[in-house]
Amino acid sequence: MEAQIKFVLNDEIVECFENPALTLLDFIRKHKKLTGTKEVCREGDCGACAVIKGEINENKIIYKLINSCIYPIGNVNAKHIVTIEGLNQSEFTPIQQAFIDEAASQCGFCTPGFITALTCYLLSEEQYNYNTAVDAIAGNICRCTGYMSIRRSVNNLIDSVNANWSHKLSRIDNLVGLKIVPEYFRGIQNKLMEISTDVVKTIRLNEGKRIICGGTDLFVQHPDDLTDSENEYVSDSIASEITETETEIHIGANVSFEQFNRSDIIGLYFPGLHEYMHLIASLPIRNAASIAGNIVNASPIGDLSIFLLGINAKLILVNNKRQREINLKDFYKGYKSLDKSDDEYISKIIINKPSENFYFNFEKVSKRQHLDIATVNSAMSMTIEDEIVKEAHLSFGGVAPVPLYMAKLSKDILGRKIEPGLLQYVVDDSQNELAPISDIRGSKEYKSLLVKQIIKKHFNVLFPEVFTAEVIT
Amino acid sequence: MSRKVIKSVTNLYDKKIERLAEVPDEKLPPLKNNKELKYIGRGISRIDGYDKVSGTAVFTFDKILKNMAHARILRCPHPHAKIRKIDITKAMNIKGVIDIITKDNTEKIDWYDGDTFIFDEHLRYQGDEIACVAAENEVIASMALKKIEVEYEILSHVTDKMTAVKEDAPKLYDWGNISPDANPAKYNRGDYEQGLKNADQIIEEEYNTQFVIHNPTEVHCSTVDWNGDHLTIWDSTQGIFAVRNSVAAALKIPQNKITVIKKYMGGGFGAKLEAGKYTVMAALLAKRIGRPVRITIDRKEMNLAVGNRPDSYQRLTVGVKNDGTLTALGMTMYGAMGAHRDGAGCQWPLRSLYKCPNVKVEEYHVAINTGRSRPFRAPGHVQGTFAFESIIDMAAEKIGMDPIEFRLKNYAEVEANWEIPWTTKLLKECYKQGAEAINWKSKRNKKAGEGKGPVKRGVGMASQIWWGTGGPPAYATVKLNRDGSVHVLSGTQDIGCGTYTILAQVAAEVLEIPVERITVSLGNTDEHPYGPSSGGSMTASSVTPAVYDGALQIKAKLMSGASALLGVREDNLVYSQGVIYSKDDKNKKKSIQEVVRETHEQILVATGARNARPQGVMLNSFGAQFAEVEVNLETGKVKVLKIVAAHDIGRTINRKLLENQFHGGIIQGIGYALLEERVIDHYTGKVLTTNLHNYKMPTIKDAPEIEVIIVSEGDDQISAIGAKGIGEPAIIPTAGAIANAVYNATGVRIRTLPITPDKILNQVYNIG
Ligand code: FES
Ligand code: FES
Repeated sequence: MEAQIKFVLNDEIVECFENPALTLLDFIRKHKKLTGTKEVCREGDCGACAVIKGEINENKIIYKLINSCIYPIGNVNAKHIVTIEGLNQSEFTPIQQAFIDEAASQCGFCTPGFITALTCYLLSEEQYNYNTAVDAIAGNICRCTGYMSIRRSVNNLIDSVNANWSHKLSRIDNLVGLKIVPEYFRGIQNKLMEISTDVVKTIRLNEGKRIICGGTDLFVQHPDDLTDSENEYVSDSIASEITETETEIHIGANVSFEQFNRSDIIGLYFPGLHEYMHLIASLPIRNAASIAGNIVNASPIGDLSIFLLGINAKLILVNNKRQREINLKDFYKGYKSLDKSDDEYISKIIINKPSENFYFNFEKVSKRQHLDIATVNSAMSMTIEDEIVKEAHLSFGGVAPVPLYMAKLSKDILGRKIEPGLLQYVVDDSQNELAPISDIRGSKEYKSLLVKQIIKKHFNVLFPEVFTAEVIT
Repeated sequence: MSRKVIKSVTNLYDKKIERLAEVPDEKLPPLKNNKELKYIGRGISRIDGYDKVSGTAVFTFDKILKNMAHARILRCPHPHAKIRKIDITKAMNIKGVIDIITKDNTEKIDWYDGDTFIFDEHLRYQGDEIACVAAENEVIASMALKKIEVEYEILSHVTDKMTAVKEDAPKLYDWGNISPDANPAKYNRGDYEQGLKNADQIIEEEYNTQFVIHNPTEVHCSTVDWNGDHLTIWDSTQGIFAVRNSVAAALKIPQNKITVIKKYMGGGFGAKLEAGKYTVMAALLAKRIGRPVRITIDRKEMNLAVGNRPDSYQRLTVGVKNDGTLTALGMTMYGAMGAHRDGAGCQWPLRSLYKCPNVKVEEYHVAINTGRSRPFRAPGHVQGTFAFESIIDMAAEKIGMDPIEFRLKNYAEVEANWEIPWTTKLLKECYKQGAEAINWKSKRNKKAGEGKGPVKRGVGMASQIWWGTGGPPAYATVKLNRDGSVHVLSGTQDIGCGTYTILAQVAAEVLEIPVERITVSLGNTDEHPYGPSSGGSMTASSVTPAVYDGALQIKAKLMSGASALLGVREDNLVYSQGVIYSKDDKNKKKSIQEVVRETHEQILVATGARNARPQGVMLNSFGAQFAEVEVNLETGKVKVLKIVAAHDIGRTINRKLLENQFHGGIIQGIGYALLEERVIDHYTGKVLTTNLHNYKMPTIKDAPEIEVIIVSEGDDQISAIGAKGIGEPAIIPTAGAIANAVYNATGVRIRTLPITPDKILNQVYNIG
């Protein structure tokens, strides 16, 4: 079951044979004895194990943050992996210095995760500011400091980096010059070129093999299973393009959440997207998790499934013999049951380009404001002509065994006028299609109530002049 | 500077703790006045900063020894069962499995004060220990756990305390489910019934608080190694001496045959105050297989088996006159200890925060089929303060008084339980400065919930009292080398709070040398003099005075050495910045390096001791926190906008580290108020929140603005340093302040923590 793995770990080329399901974290800590990278939750929820992943794309290295505890070693081929040890220099890096000056570590167990996350932020963002830098560490849990000192460190850091940045130099020259990363970073591109020749560039269909893109869910749910089975690990650069035709947007199955978030094409049609995406998982998870994975996982509260249902997306399914198209809303048959045979996989997700009078909103209510599983989430889209609903799609998560597309309601409101009375109609009608259950995220009564509240919110956000604060209360 | 041995007495809850301790014979000279202090009180950066930001700090979790085996524990999947049979044959046959211990092949070793054994056949909770496997690596060990065959006799279980106290509930012990120590634990002051009769208003309310889990980032773990008959234990612990003594007793070996070491650790918050079963198991395995053993538990085990804050049901009664005078306070409470005896009460805030002549308390501590409770940052006070400060808020509203005025009206001038004065109490000052900082007058809704629109804002506050303040025995050795560099050694621990740094600051202050010249070494039972466990906000307040004493002794030695070398009488010498001068002739001088060298010493050594606690007075820390919140009544979401924390904690030793401690405590308090909860399915008896996916702790995005105000200076009756301790005070009033602010914002009173969106909406829309 072992496979050959070849990648660059910090400044050294590593070649080994490993079970591809071995987590990168175990490889780093146990095999390489690099114990600066910590383990806290082992399921992507804390950022203590964060490492930087670099990959060549069109002659540039693209760096992204990942949680090594749920990242298979099978996916690191031809990549650059950087741990805290690979950032240390003869003096403190400015990030480390900022942490020391503001006493931003207490017990220090979480600190390497924060340092690598912030380094990766500087390696990957086009512009630096305090808010996006804080977003970059929103997935890092610290149980001691209360985060204030970390915020101050970030603030000082961003100010000093921006003040000392030379616009004449390349990013890497700046970062090396500022001692944010060590000198050896300059030579990484060549090293990667050297070892990248025999990397697989397509998805290989193989009887009985599970295709794993991000694996952020599987490594939490069935880590042992993965070690014992044969899987096809799909590297990030495969099937990960977002393209457009005249009327459609095509999203490769392996497009990650974060790629989706940052895509110019998507951003053009869904300008509010960043707001929603910040409610969905932490950056390292968004970097690894694939959209197709979220759809296939079929969690009744999957954020992106709900999002895509709300705009009536379509899927392209393929196997060795054929290819077919199916509406996402018809894909879910029952709890974790899909209209997909074992040998099929999703190759693409297609969404129609919205017309001019298109309205869209996404809402999510969870216990913790950020990075939490939703109690209830929902998306609603509408196309309006002369105040009349021409097309509508409404989806809800957390209120049925599947990500719920409200088929009846979406049909029932066609031809209706956008006027205050519509709201009560939609609220009443919505209750017919729900089947919430009580669980740790809330009672079924509470979830039904949330559905009503969220519908009000949708209308208030999309048509504030019609559904004013008075109308919705 | 002579010493004496005293019986040191500390009042802690209703216990009188007596310990023999050596202390300085006389009161030590005071610190210089604040303006002249160069190190104490300054925001000096951590001296262990490098190790932490570079990832080179070796935590116990990172401790690797040559030829080490890895151990994992098999735990009971059922909430209540008996073992009929264990078969380890299949597991032993796995390649790479070295040894497995169970109740069948080990001696019975008493644990949890005789409630159970290291391996018991009666399994009392989901997570109770059954077997421990040593293997070549963790993957194999985990595989072996699945192959151990256990036949269980399933017993009926009870995981809810109010069910457990019923007569027909399944019983965990011969004595039933209510602890013999608290069935009920009673306290009476004055005449409670009469107090109610004297009241104009009587308010009665019920409160519930949830179980929460410490969840420090570093899991509990040990690495152990036998060398002949000597056992070395690296442990992620808050108490190295506690671990040494428990393991010595368990293994029946002398204490001098055990060394416990802890350098860096990833937090504890109370969960790591005692030795864990896992350490004993690792020691047993290591002995049997003749190899070092590393044992770790995983996040699921963290959430099942190594401690939690107990929950509480509290029925509170307040009698109050229309002028605001409290006439009676009553409490009946039930708290779940989990499967083994441990404290689960929370009466102290009610008994000690305000002046009230008539008090009646009854507490029941209940055993249930879940993991055992452990002290968690201000045990009891966090639950108690939320409920008590909520009902006080209601009482103030009922008689139409501002909550702060109401508290001032009932301000306790002397400690109410023992009727003795406090050394210092600056709670009034906390109210005043805190209220100003949050803008109490203008931000507070006159009528709760009066704000317009669905998004409401409001402010609320709550007060705090805590023990802390430290005491003997606590020792620290100070060594001065020939080059003028200094070692400070103490057998206490730095669990993240910054003990390394503050001890260096104290030595630097006395010897007037830079902090960089000082190394602090902690956490080794062989090499260091006794230092206290790091809990109860006692480390700084106990150990800094010992370092002070040790450094003063070194200074005295230097002075007498210099006197001999210079031929000048000691009282004619001055010490300044590491140089000793003759008062009369500034050219007659010796640097401390010269004194050590020329007296032919290699190092000067002195061991300092913590001074005795003052008698006939009470020592407490105080504080008040103010919360501003925003509540969205459409979604039920609560957002904390700002917390102001104004506290009387004695002297600030290091402002940066102090703020950190406060921020951390407050954020944990926000987690307690809004997010965190161990959820149990009572039907199956299983815990549903066994990972950080379901057990939500606050992230950087949940952190509001926090302002910390310290109203106190050093309390010199406590010690020359005068610190009271801060770890615990920080978390105590947070939840109460938030709950009261939520009420002020919305008019909705949440009596059950955590305050989640559903509870708010359920009340607003009257459902569920
Ligand atoms: S260990 Fe928590 S995210 Fe990896
Ligand atoms: S400093 Fe302890 S977890 Fe962050």
